[in-house]
Amino acid sequence: MTSQLKPISASIRIEKPTASAPSSFAAKPLPPSPYKQGDSAATREAFGVAFEALGSVNPLVVGLDADVKNSTYTDKFGKKFPDRFFENFIAEQNMVGAAAGLAACGKIPFAATFACFLTRAYDFIRMAAISQSNIKLVGTHVGVSIGEDGPSQMGLEDIAMMAAQPGVAVLYPSDATSTYRLVELAANHKGMVYLRAGRPKSPVLYGPEEQFQIGGSKLVRQSASDALTIVAAGVTLFEALKAHDQLKAAGISVRVIDLYSIVPIDRATLIDSARVTQGRILTVEDHYAHGGLGDAVLSAVGSEGIRVHKLAIRAIPHSGKPEELVDHFGIGARSIVEAAKQILK
Amino acid sequence: MAGSTIPSEFVTELHNRATQLRIDSVRATSEAGSGHPSSCCSAADIVATLFFSVMHYDPKNPKAPNSDRFILSKGHAAPLLYAAWAEAGLFPKGDLLKLRTLASDLEGHPTPRLSFVDMATGSLGQGLPVGIGIALNAKYIDKLDHRTYVLMGDGESVEGSVWEAVEAARHHQLDNLCVIVDINRLGQSDPTMLQHDMEAYHSRWSGFGWHAIVVDGHDLDALLTAFDEASHVKGKPTVLLAKTLRDEASRSWKTTRTGMENQFPRGKRRRKPSMN
Repeated sequence: MTSQLKPISASIRIEKPTASAPSSFAAKPLPPSPYKQGDSAATREAFGVAFEALGSVNPLVVGLDADVKNSTYTDKFGKKFPDRFFENFIAEQNMVGAAAGLAACGKIPFAATFACFLTRAYDFIRMAAISQSNIKLVGTHVGVSIGEDGPSQMGLEDIAMMAAQPGVAVLYPSDATSTYRLVELAANHKGMVYLRAGRPKSPVLYGPEEQFQIGGSKLVRQSASDALTIVAAGVTLFEALKAHDQLKAAGISVRVIDLYSIVPIDRATLIDSARVTQGRILTVEDHYAHGGLGDAVLSAVGSEGIRVHKLAIRAIPHSGKPEELVDHFGIGARSIVEAAKQILK
Repeated sequence: MAGSTIPSEFVTELHNRATQLRIDSVRATSEAGSGHPSSCCSAADIVATLFFSVMHYDPKNPKAPNSDRFILSKGHAAPLLYAAWAEAGLFPKGDLLKLRTLASDLEGHPTPRLSFVDMATGSLGQGLPVGIGIALNAKYIDKLDHRTYVLMGDGESVEGSVWEAVEAARHHQLDNLCVIVDINRLGQSDPTMLQHDMEAYHSRWSGFGWHAIVVDGHDLDALLTAFDEASHVKGKPTVLLAKTLRDEASRSWKTTRTGMENQFPRGKRRRKPSMN
């Protein structure tokens, strides 16, 4: 082969790029959350509000949609920052791939669609994880609590697929305030983040001054005599709070943890709580039973001899009213109360 | 750059560079005992043309601002990419022989552990969507004049994600994006569906609104002319549909080195590298 090299005088010169002015931006903090305790808002909407606000304080933030921007609320950002918002139409693979390309250029891309349709881009998500990309993925319309649209529209394996990839932070805020703050934390975090957002409106639990962190959790109900730790996030957190009140009325005291960060997980709080409640944890999630919140808790505390009981979606769901489905598929307050009584029997 | 005005000496030197890339790719995969040397060989002339004539970049600093970007979507041709950067002077050529070893970042398929890789490739059909993100950034956000080149294989152009991206690139009028499809006719287990039906490729890509150029992927003059044409197309992306052969170089090599068809230059045969 080397015999094919022909003698010549060297004439090749590689042209260097023309210099460009380096851009320097300092991201400012997000303004306080506009939500107040007692308000009611969907976490997907709070994501849209936070994302729009983020656009004003951080010029590196860009948005990508797959033709659901009026459902994920990224249309707010898109209208305000049309030059950094890219419509991919119904092409989730291209959306995630293009997001990774933008991240390779130093941008902080947020790609949002229904959680269930991110499964379609999973190979891209896997390759982005291998690349230690800085993309932020937002999956809305999670779980049976989307209701009438039925199982084809329900994201029920998104936590499993995201948590399976090393280095991906998985966030699952329950209320508008925590969503707002976690969107900012996601933008400032170096590395991939997945944020899980729900469709139905839920009460605002936290005041605007509340602090959150990736890897944190909130102990939202506790007393010295708690017999069980209930761990939940999203719609099931509110079911757990209802169950807490019903159990309390029946003389059973339980504590409730809002596990808004599934990866990394607040192992210390989980273990401390479980020890107070005699090694008993009950997890409740609007996600299939494998690889979700319950399994994340089990992985974190199992080696400590703590027993983790899981309530999760264990059958192919059906259309119906959100509250009806939450109850029917065994993740509502009724099921939590039953499970708690069973565990404590 | 019209074909007739390219000095023959320049073309000869490009030819030498391409030959060197083939030699380095075959040496590295032979040393590794695995890899895809023939997929490197079919694209060697394309890569040599890009790296040693067309692209503007800093061989010592792959992250230099406003550099032209190159994405090897057919990630299994990684040894060719590594050979090109070594030939350009980024790292010593001796490193190429550490291909696919735990001690080296020259992995079987490229990852961003390497400074000159923006995104891991090797899962086919992903390079073009990533290229779109880079081209969108240059055209609409940072307003940079660098170009983005994506080298795809013909096998991977069956992936649905490729056609998602082909539509998106047209929609966003990415005239700073240039795809090269290395149409070497062969997939891993069988010939590709379209094989060397260049007219079929042309009608597909042009039907999707791209400026499509059919070119002989081993004719350096023609490649230079096509890349020049691509750089002048406005309002739409360009694709070079390059008809290639995996054994373009080794055919003449065989004629000069009879009896060496299936052997590698080191003569030390290990596990036969897969030839896709």
